Amino acid sequence: MKKFIPKEAQPAPVETTGIIGWTRENLFSSIPNSIATILILGFLASFLPGVINWIIIDANWSGSTQADCTNDDGACWVFVSAWMQQFIYGSYTDSEIWRINLGLILLGAVIAAPYFLPKHLRNKLGVPMFLLYPFFCAALLDGRLFGLEFVSTDLWGGFSLNIFLAAASIIIAFPLSFLWALGRRSEMPFIRSVCVLLIEFFRGVPVLALFFMGSVMLPLFFPEGTNIDKLLRVWIVLILFMSGYMAEVFRGGFQAIPQGQYEAADSLGLSYWQKTLLIIFPQVIKVSMPNILATFIMLFKNTTFLLIIGIFEILSTTQTALANSSWLGGHAPEGYLFVALVFWVCCFGMSMISANIERKLDTSHRN
Amino acid sequence: MFKFSSILAAGLAVGVSVGAQAGTLEDVKKRGSVSCGVSTGLAGFSQKDEKGAWSGLDVDVCKAVAAAVLGDSSKVQYKPLTAKERFTALQSGEIDLLSRNTTWTHTRDTSLGLNFAGVNYYDGQGFMVSNKLGVKSALELDGAAACIQAGTTTELNLADYFRANGMKYTAVTFDTSDQTRSGFESGRCDVLTSDQSQLYAIRIGLKDPDAAVVLPEVISKEPLGPVVRQGDDAWFNIVKWSMSALIEAEFLGVDSANVDKMKDEGKPGQKRLLGTEGDAGEKLGLSADWAYNIVKQVGNYGESFERNVGMDSPLKIARGLNAQWNQGGILYSPPVR
Repeated sequence: MKKFIPKEAQPAPVETTGIIGWTRENLFSSIPNSIATILILGFLASFLPGVINWIIIDANWSGSTQADCTNDDGACWVFVSAWMQQFIYGSYTDSEIWRINLGLILLGAVIAAPYFLPKHLRNKLGVPMFLLYPFFCAALLDGRLFGLEFVSTDLWGGFSLNIFLAAASIIIAFPLSFLWALGRRSEMPFIRSVCVLLIEFFRGVPVLALFFMGSVMLPLFFPEGTNIDKLLRVWIVLILFMSGYMAEVFRGGFQAIPQGQYEAADSLGLSYWQKTLLIIFPQVIKVSMPNILATFIMLFKNTTFLLIIGIFEILSTTQTALANSSWLGGHAPEGYLFVALVFWVCCFGMSMISANIERKLDTSHRN
Repeated sequence: MFKFSSILAAGLAVGVSVGAQAGTLEDVKKRGSVSCGVSTGLAGFSQKDEKGAWSGLDVDVCKAVAAAVLGDSSKVQYKPLTAKERFTALQSGEIDLLSRNTTWTHTRDTSLGLNFAGVNYYDGQGFMVSNKLGVKSALELDGAAACIQAGTTTELNLADYFRANGMKYTAVTFDTSDQTRSGFESGRCDVLTSDQSQLYAIRIGLKDPDAAVVLPEVISKEPLGPVVRQGDDAWFNIVKWSMSALIEAEFLGVDSANVDKMKDEGKPGQKRLLGTEGDAGEKLGLSADWAYNIVKQVGNYGESFERNVGMDSPLKIARGLNAQWNQGGILYSPPVR
């Protein structure tokens, strides 16, 4: 009997596999698609080499003064490297920069703590650490409380200031906005109307207007001789602004929680705060996570608005550097590209962290 | 919880400081530093360097006041201010002195509760043209396209000037000084107009600075000077005379190099300024060597000018109006006697 020998499978036609297949499928699947591909490739071909040349190949990398930028056709990265300390730390006293670094490390530690702390300590230790961080950090940078050299807030600046302000604002705004959101859902008319008023005011007024109020109007209301530090005023403005937005994010979260959860908690005999903190709050956080992160990224980028009231955060530092008479060669593209890159890296990093948290929290509503 | 509340209280104490209601001079002496409002960055006038140190013509006024009052020109707290905040900061007492390229105008002097303590730079609107144009005077600019920064008094002055001289022009407006420069560079206009001090800074930023020339005409008056709060005449006098000392020192030929010699061996006028004769310092409520400290630590006006905006700086601005009155300029200090 003849044995049946199956024929070996034919390989797939060349035009459907490998690079060729992929290209045909994705780039040249139809006539309009092909035209679009060719146009885009043509555009990139005419545009990219020049940009790459300017950014990398012809760029001036080494040196410390403008005179070292000898090649006019390339970017002058010397500008960025010469001003790097200002861009990151501002004018903070040289010998005290370790305090900024310590503050940044602590921030990382506070964020990372929940991943490493044992479960029973996570809330007991993690939350107070989080809430105390802004005050501790402010005292550390200021220095007087710890008996360190006093560094006045005029000298704070650079990208570290953007980070500290954003972090310190969101940490305080978090509990505050949660309370506002609760108040807005409250059945007590006075509390509800106060919360609605606060939320709508701080959400409805542009943040620039709030900054101007904080920096130009507010000082006129105090008795002469009373000065509230400009940075402190701005911090408060950021907290309130952020709270307004976050409260609405939380309200959205509250509405996503099924009514049954409230009823179940009530039927167990839990008090209002037990119900809110133990049953509702964790679910709200989970549902609102993407929005919380989006709001935070928005606030983080909004810290650059501080340039209009003369606080030396990174963008304002860049403009100051551009105005220095030793660097008047038109280095704006390099400066702004650097700022854009720094922000993009940070914001993209935050998106990754948020995606990670979302995956971790994804427990439910999947049957 | 103890920790939390103590840190919070400290945080508030950090931010809030209540100054005494006494005179500014006492406040400054008590604090040990002069709080001086400057710009957030203007080439040659108040600028920060890579190390975070401030320098400039306006900054030197702050330093001079600190040297006169505290004997140390480095005891200045610089408060960078935007144009919108500057007067509020002064009115609310956040700063003792505003030295931020501020034009002395009637409205500002009379209605804001402020006093201008003098003029440390006579600025005015000027023109910059490309060398290729071969123009020697602004009066030859009939029909020109002019690059200007939108929304400034520059725009109005330009319109006035051209109308007064029966000439036509096309305005090409930009938002920032950077854009104005690239507009001029790419040939979108024949002439760029701005305050003269700015013109020089813009000119250096050009790819080929030598291809452009600043015309001699100045079409507006922009006297820039330090400002103090109204109602504290003792402090007003100190700022006014600290500035005058810079100018008078140059007039008398005293500079940071020869000040020690002049103090003992100088002419009577020089000795009076430097405190070896007379009681000029005492009358201001300062020590006798107030002006000596200024000249020793900051230099005289001429030194400050050349170092920050003049020939020793990248800006290379000529003295022009800002020369001494006997050198063809209009700088004039009342005598110290």
